[in-house]
Amino acid sequence: MREEKIIEILHETLHAEHGSALEMLATSKNATKSSHVNGYFHHAKDEYNHSKTFQSLLAKRANRLPPDIARSYRFSSIGLLKKGYVSKKGFLIETMKLKDFIAYVYTNELLAKDSFSKILKLLEINSGDYIKVSDIMTDELRHHGMAKEYFLRYYPTLQPWQLKCYKLREIIKNKTRIIYYKNIKFLDKVFNPIYIFLSFFAALLLNHLNVKYFHRTNANLMNISSRSMF
Amino acid sequence: MFIGISGYNHESAVALINNEGILIDYCKEESLSRIKGDKSFPKRALSKIIKKNHIKKDLISHIVFYEKPLTAFLTPLKTASSYLPKSLSFISHQLRNFDNSSISCFTDLAKFAPGLEKKLSYIDHHLAHTLTALPYSRKQKDLCSIVVDGFGDRSTASISYIKDMHDIKELWSSDYPHSLGLFYSSITDFLGFNVNEGEYKVMGLSSFGNSNSKLAKIVFNLIKWDDVKNNIVVNLDYFSYHISISDSFSKELIKLLGEPRNPFKKLQPGDKDFQKFADIARGAQDITNVILSKIFSYAYRITNSNSFLFSGGVALNSAALNTLADLNFTKDIILPPSPGDSGAAIGSALYGFIKSYPTNLSIKKPSLFPTAFSIDDEKDKVKKIINESFSIISENKFESLKLCSELIHKGKVIGTVISNSETGPRALGNRSLICDGMNLKSVNYLNTVIKNRSPFRPTAPAMKRITAEKYYEIKSELYQSYFSMTATCKCRDPKANNFPTTHIDGTARIQIVEDESILGQLLDILHPSGVDILANSSLNLSGDPTCFDLIDGLMFCSISPLEYLLTDLGLIKKLA
Repeated sequence: MREEKIIEILHETLHAEHGSALEMLATSKNATKSSHVNGYFHHAKDEYNHSKTFQSLLAKRANRLPPDIARSYRFSSIGLLKKGYVSKKGFLIETMKLKDFIAYVYTNELLAKDSFSKILKLLEINSGDYIKVSDIMTDELRHHGMAKEYFLRYYPTLQPWQLKCYKLREIIKNKTRIIYYKNIKFLDKVFNPIYIFLSFFAALLLNHLNVKYFHRTNANLMNISSRSMF
Repeated sequence: MFIGISGYNHESAVALINNEGILIDYCKEESLSRIKGDKSFPKRALSKIIKKNHIKKDLISHIVFYEKPLTAFLTPLKTASSYLPKSLSFISHQLRNFDNSSISCFTDLAKFAPGLEKKLSYIDHHLAHTLTALPYSRKQKDLCSIVVDGFGDRSTASISYIKDMHDIKELWSSDYPHSLGLFYSSITDFLGFNVNEGEYKVMGLSSFGNSNSKLAKIVFNLIKWDDVKNNIVVNLDYFSYHISISDSFSKELIKLLGEPRNPFKKLQPGDKDFQKFADIARGAQDITNVILSKIFSYAYRITNSNSFLFSGGVALNSAALNTLADLNFTKDIILPPSPGDSGAAIGSALYGFIKSYPTNLSIKKPSLFPTAFSIDDEKDKVKKIINESFSIISENKFESLKLCSELIHKGKVIGTVISNSETGPRALGNRSLICDGMNLKSVNYLNTVIKNRSPFRPTAPAMKRITAEKYYEIKSELYQSYFSMTATCKCRDPKANNFPTTHIDGTARIQIVEDESILGQLLDILHPSGVDILANSSLNLSGDPTCFDLIDGLMFCSISPLEYLLTDLGLIKKLA
């Protein structure tokens, strides 16, 4: 049970790290100043390396699972969109104001460090995996420091209490996100029988749908109306 | 100007055709989002194409989407409704995700490019594939188009007769859920590879399998061609892609073949279970060859045409093409460089052009490198990255090529990010990893160390035509495909069997390069030193899309053991 929990956490963290790598790469490409491009490039590089580390940690444990369970822990980057680690609306830099984006990085690196310390508690002390995750924590702290420096350089009038507000805001947002997803899962369980019931009636109607209309044998495909969605 | 859009089911893409019918830009969303197989509405690709080509919205005559959304939405639902109650969860999921289907194309377009949605039209999915393949053929009338894919708005395979580009008549189609593409994807899933991504791996693995083994024969019999009804028939007891969101195969298949592969277990020749999975892959490949041969034979019978356009996701199965070329009636098989769904954006845009110019009877062949990219957009931005972590060895183009050749001769691997990029999934030189194709150590290093690929997957060789003719059985029927690396061929010279780019079954997916291409120029310089073949693989890590711009290339270099990158800025070396 404990092993599967670790695997699940590693799987989620792998998504989070890969998502961060893509976010930082997109930010690097969006930046106009060469120094900013470079800064975000190196941040993205670190996140890619973290993602690689989590991929190998996951593989090491998941290859002991029965195939049907292991299959559900496969990683593909398309999962980032499905799981919401990259928003379907776009990357953060495409949807946020720069100031908010920098604040987001600043606070989230610190929060990431906190969640890595929780992961460490699940791992055997001083094992290879433990050391790898500790190294990642050092990186996250460095990123946090860089973001803080960057933030204060470009927004020098900001007071420390304002930074604390940003952090608090992110903590609340993260907690709300967790509550939201838990509620969604709960509501899904509650409403699923209703959905299934409605789907049953929809299926009965669909059974009467005549798909012969969709057949195009002997039709000139170039002459089918292009305004129609059928 | 005409824009074609594909998306929502497989990799999304945008193509731009000008008023002369020439493909002037093409971009896959995954190239910009860096999410492999990104199927969301191609907002970045669309925006990039509009900005890069300075297009004003009123200059766009048509935006054409590559399928009929309502047909594509309703057909699987109608099918699933016949499998109640097993399919209830599937139906519920589809209905609840109505707004994530391609029906949203109109609203997404209105959101990301307001005003353009009024110009949106929809075409038959297999017509989009046919039109994508058409410009690559010299002959553009009186030929047959065969499309075989997983599922495209209503059918899974079709045969059409092209009288001319204004008269394309569908003569046969195979109804969903009986699908060769979905059968192959389910076996891909069973073998532990990601669907829509790992099909190449199954193809490579199949060469290690034995057609006479029990497992290969069992898999061979899971799908068949009905000679009486002329149709594909899948034994649906063993598959569940039509009734389940999460499982593509049923428990019956596990009872039949044993446990599926754990995707995290390494698959290496000689390992326990390797032969079992190779035999399963062999069975899937054998029956794919047979069914495609049957479809081609039937197409010949009903159209009397011996020139074929072949497209759809299954056309990416380069290993099957040799069998098709060997059919005694085949004269030509033309494949577009990107026969899958992302390429269908090109056919969709062409539809707009053809409809707007009813007297036009031919379309120009698109470039193999249509995706516009200019280093000028990035030159200043990457200065600091290069100064800090790389060094430019040479800025002169010819000197860079010369230095590259020396490095290749010494056994080094070079990455390339040069000029425009390729349309299809195969790297043809501009976004490639290359090394001496006759040097076993270099090829192994490229394949297993830099790309971290399983050793059973072969690396493709690129060469000049004269070298190809010397070492390989070049088939005139597939000649065009060798330029876009879409077909395999057998070794002719026994020496070639020992090349590290030759697969275990004595075949190679060769690329014939044009003289003026970057690989052509490199081979010219390398020829005196005896290197006539380059190993060529795409510039990406396993699971990532191929690099698109210079920043992607520099990132690849930074996180992999690759040391050298040939770019429009010159030859770049990673600092230790």
